[in-house]
Amino acid sequence: MLTILGLTAVGSFVYPLVRFLAPAGGKAEAKQITLKKSEIPVGTAKEIPLNNTPAIIINRPDKGFVALSRVCSHLGCLVEYDKIRNRLICPCHGALFDLEGNVVSGPPPKPLPKFPIKVESESILIG
Amino acid sequence: MRYILPLLLILILPPASQADWKEQFEKEFLARPWAGPQVPQDVCIECHSSDMMKPEARDIPRKWETSWHYQNGISCHNCHGGDPKDAENAMSPQRGFVGTPKYAQVPEFCGKCHVGILKNFLESGHGKALKSSGKGPNCVTCHSAHDNRKASINIINEQLCTKCHPYERVKVMKQALFVTENKMNEIDKSLKELKTEGVFTEEEEKNFFSTQAQFRTLFHTEDVSLVRRQTDEFVNKLDQVKVKIQKTFEELRFRRDFSAFLMMLFVGMAIGFWVLSKNPKE
Amino acid sequence: MWGKIKNWLEIRIGLDGLMKTHLTEYRVPKNINILYTLGFVALVFFSIQVITGFFLLVYYIPYSEMAFKSVQDIMGTVPYGWLFRQMHVVGSSLMVVVVLFHAIAVFFMGGYKKPRELTWIVGTFMLLITITFCLSGYLLPWSQLSYWATTIATTLPTAFPYAGEIVAKLMKGSEQVSGITLNRFFALHVMLLPLIISVLVGLHIFLVRRIGISSPPFGKSPEAEKPWTEYRHVSHPDGYSFFPDFVLKETIMVMVFCAVMFFFITFLPTLLLPEEANIPADPFKTPAHIKPEWYFLAPYQMLKIIPNKFLGISLQMIIVLLFILWPFLDTAEENNLLKRPRLRWLFFVSLILWMVFTIWGKYS
Repeated sequence: MLTILGLTAVGSFVYPLVRFLAPAGGKAEAKQITLKKSEIPVGTAKEIPLNNTPAIIINRPDKGFVALSRVCSHLGCLVEYDKIRNRLICPCHGALFDLEGNVVSGPPPKPLPKFPIKVESESILIG
Repeated sequence: MRYILPLLLILILPPASQADWKEQFEKEFLARPWAGPQVPQDVCIECHSSDMMKPEARDIPRKWETSWHYQNGISCHNCHGGDPKDAENAMSPQRGFVGTPKYAQVPEFCGKCHVGILKNFLESGHGKALKSSGKGPNCVTCHSAHDNRKASINIINEQLCTKCHPYERVKVMKQALFVTENKMNEIDKSLKELKTEGVFTEEEEKNFFSTQAQFRTLFHTEDVSLVRRQTDEFVNKLDQVKVKIQKTFEELRFRRDFSAFLMMLFVGMAIGFWVLSKNPKE
Repeated sequence: MWGKIKNWLEIRIGLDGLMKTHLTEYRVPKNINILYTLGFVALVFFSIQVITGFFLLVYYIPYSEMAFKSVQDIMGTVPYGWLFRQMHVVGSSLMVVVVLFHAIAVFFMGGYKKPRELTWIVGTFMLLITITFCLSGYLLPWSQLSYWATTIATTLPTAFPYAGEIVAKLMKGSEQVSGITLNRFFALHVMLLPLIISVLVGLHIFLVRRIGISSPPFGKSPEAEKPWTEYRHVSHPDGYSFFPDFVLKETIMVMVFCAVMFFFITFLPTLLLPEEANIPADPFKTPAHIKPEWYFLAPYQMLKIIPNKFLGISLQMIIVLLFILWPFLDTAEENNLLKRPRLRWLFFVSLILWMVFTIWGKYS
């Protein structure tokens, strides 16, 4: 009787331990997205979902392409691109981000997360 | 025992001769929040709640302390500008002080931060009426200036809206909002519950807030057909959040059951070993 | 098969003799009580902390920008991560409880008296290191609770003039609690303290074994009759065998305490993890009701009420010193606390005072 309990106890720790230490399933792999350069003319931006996060690719006139998350680091609203002021504005509380994702003004505590981006001759690889 | 007195003397006498570190310690330790209630250092509040003010104006800081703005750390200078730390220049235009906005300029005043809502409001019937004739509701009409509360569907009510026009068209809009608002309230409650159960809900909260804010901003256009068209999209998004929350509740239940099972195992083993100890095998 | 292995070992290390001396023919006093198992329970709980701590270490990231998220990942994403984290958190508080019970039991039964003064001193240092483990580990999740409780704890030494400032700065590594503090607390918690306490545990167990287990003072004890002028090992030829009788008692206690641990994990999972423990640290915003963890509440409250701060902290240091050196302060021959009304009074009053201060600290 005691041995059964003991073995069950050991087993109920071994099983979680194995699951705990086993490498994560395939979903840890992020998907890459490829876009054509011509889809985003200079000075414009395109909003796309990236790994389940709304993201925005901006073709900046001075520094080229950048991929940022649209989720404002304040409370989660989605920021919008303001072409005229060269900023990203959050409609909820007026937060301003520059085109590197850094906070210019407003309540957000942290900059916008950036996604890795690789620019080739005809296309852009994001993720 | 006989060493205690000299020990005490050695430890206490030399440092006790230094007097000023006591104030230093009091400043560092006792003045901190954990030593007692924190006092805000806002010169605006100091003057505006004192006897210098007119009685009607004296109530404003107290009203603000009950507001949703206060709970989120928004104080006088965030809207009115000026310098909250410098009494002499507190209301100086050089420090950004803009004073009280005129009635028709209130949307722009609030829209300094609430950018999306300003845009939608100006496109609405209310906004257009305000801008063209100077008559009509501004933000304060529905939301009040200093004791504003968290937005809810009950701001739209017969008393308020019939001040200017019949309630029928308002009813139509309220109906269009109803289902979504209910769902949002449910999700809000569930998220609060999850938090008390110790779950970290930042991602779901951000997702939810974004959807909620988008929906409420949309409402300010007063375009019932737009609201109706977009309702499906919003309900879908909210349902996704709900599914995630449900999954989290289930996970919490599983955790409780699993650790209860482990607890019973140990209780069983304690009893088993106790029985074994009472019947020794020689 | 089993016999073959035993024989193989017997030829090489004399397994039979070892088992006899240390297990089956090692005897514990006849009137031994259940409180004597607490030392072993403390050892088991320490092992639980080490093991669960190792598994947490597999996924924890000791960098201030990522520490909080890594702990939330352990709680939410890694399969059964919540189990090991909860065992570590609840286990740490339970370990302090067990160690305190053990210290109180030893005190109550006069187990610190000659010739066991050294064992007591080593034990008090182990208690202090356990508390340091708790202090350093508390910061690692980098939540609001961690950050501000650590800020309080590392500011307390400043009550002591000059030296206090230096100590506080040394602990923090910077003006305010920061990533630097996190790094040094992490190094302390994961490497230095385990090394030190392993040595102390080894020393403590060696001393207990070498001197011999004390008898509870209630009832006849032949020990007290002979004066201690030279070394002799205390043995109990008419007592119970350590293995299997006393080991069985120890195992029961371990099971009981583990059941208690899982009781808390099942029914009160948020007792030690309130809301502030799930908000990332914000150096600019102090939560409304921050308090140190329960085992620090008594010294914290005492410091708050004594008007002269320096007196407050030196009083606490003196109490700790008294605690460590107690065997040299109480050299009376009489072992039985029940026959010493003044000491009994002092003992119970101190316990009650400590509990009062703890509860007061919680609600003030």
